[in-house]
Amino acid sequence: MNSSSRINPSQHAHSVVRRCQPLLGTYVEITTGGADERAMRLAIDAAFASIQSIQNRLSTHDPVSEISLLNREASDRTVTVSAETFEILRHADRLAMESNGAFDYTVAPTLARWGLLPANLQRENPGGWRDVLLLHHRQVRFLRPLTLDLGGIAKGFAVDKAVASLQANHVTAGLVNAGGDLRAFGNQSFAIHMRHPSRPHAIAHPIDLREAALATSSPCFTQKTWHNERVSHLVNPRHGTAITGSVSVTVRARECWLADALTKAVLIAPQRAEHLLMRYNADAFVLTA
Amino acid sequence: MNSRITAICLTTTLAVAHGYATSYHTVESAQHACFPEGGEFTSVDVKLTRDQRKAIEKASGVKVKDESQRVWRVINKGEAAGWFIVDEVIGKHELITYALALDAHGSVKSIEVMDYRENYGSEIRQADWRRQFVGKKSSDKLKLEDDIKNITGATLSCRHVSEGVKRLLSLYELVLKN
Repeated sequence: MNSSSRINPSQHAHSVVRRCQPLLGTYVEITTGGADERAMRLAIDAAFASIQSIQNRLSTHDPVSEISLLNREASDRTVTVSAETFEILRHADRLAMESNGAFDYTVAPTLARWGLLPANLQRENPGGWRDVLLLHHRQVRFLRPLTLDLGGIAKGFAVDKAVASLQANHVTAGLVNAGGDLRAFGNQSFAIHMRHPSRPHAIAHPIDLREAALATSSPCFTQKTWHNERVSHLVNPRHGTAITGSVSVTVRARECWLADALTKAVLIAPQRAEHLLMRYNADAFVLTA
Repeated sequence: MNSRITAICLTTTLAVAHGYATSYHTVESAQHACFPEGGEFTSVDVKLTRDQRKAIEKASGVKVKDESQRVWRVINKGEAAGWFIVDEVIGKHELITYALALDAHGSVKSIEVMDYRENYGSEIRQADWRRQFVGKKSSDKLKLEDDIKNITGATLSCRHVSEGVKRLLSLYELVLKN
């Protein structure tokens, strides 16, 4: 399999700029290729800033984020959110519906009970994704007490926004990688190596990625024992139990938020995975260690 | 009809990597990335006394491993523009050198990773692995897989850098702010 990973120089002078900042709880790496190095550095500054902005809006751990505001107040009153936040909520809502709840961004109370999210996200008899109303003028209301956690889709969404920012600043080719959720853009293919989280020194064969995104999910990152039960951040909403074990799923899709969300749907409802992947023109790699 | 799902069993992997390393910046390029508006960087010799180390540990909740810190004062057009600090943090499998830029008020301006190195060779003890970096400049070729550049399935928490930044902010408050 072809494993060349360099941006090919064109007839004009060509630079590659590669920078990395800690963001979204992980390391975000931005690689760009083009003729104007200085312009690319400035574009990368703006792209990192766009990721910081999303982090500020969506972090469940940050009490002043928009998500935290929704979690505190949307059960009692309608809350207006920013365009960015409304956009990701619409993505999450659509995936929840189309995956028949396999992707579910309202399982925060269960994760909080298991100690995987802050305790203040617990609710008694919480509602589900069908109780989240997304209304005109970016208004949000919860029909019953519930809490949201966008951790299953936020990194991918941030990657998409960073790519959009780079393109808006005339960067023609590059790759944004947020801790393994990544997206390639431009007339350039990148060799991506898949790793299994429980065997990080073993590299599976590379995927050639062009104008597409990859995201990976696995119980390995979060699984632990809680009151004699094995739990992880991957909740099967139908049974209230977690997916555990050493499986890892990588999805390739057109956009990173979608790849990110689909990994959860594939892990939690594998029997419907084929249908869902076809619907979104995506594909998946299931790694077992 | 072809399945959209490919199963890969890792007992038949094509490659085994002992580590992964990327160099993003030299000190000069990190200075420019953190202060794109420009500035004069004057190196400040920071050697922490035992009392200062204890005070920083108490204020930040983070252990201080080194008594010295690489710090530069930044002046732009005759005015104080902030501080530029190079720091190193070590996790279980990773060694990261990064730059922290503070503005003139001591607030975080930006954080840029300079060098990132991972190691998973279980047969290599941490001290041995670190020794190969002593005295090496980031431009030296490292004996690691350097053509693996893009990875998925390896989410690493940036917790160590976040803790490092907390420690450095206390260092600023207690030592640099003079």
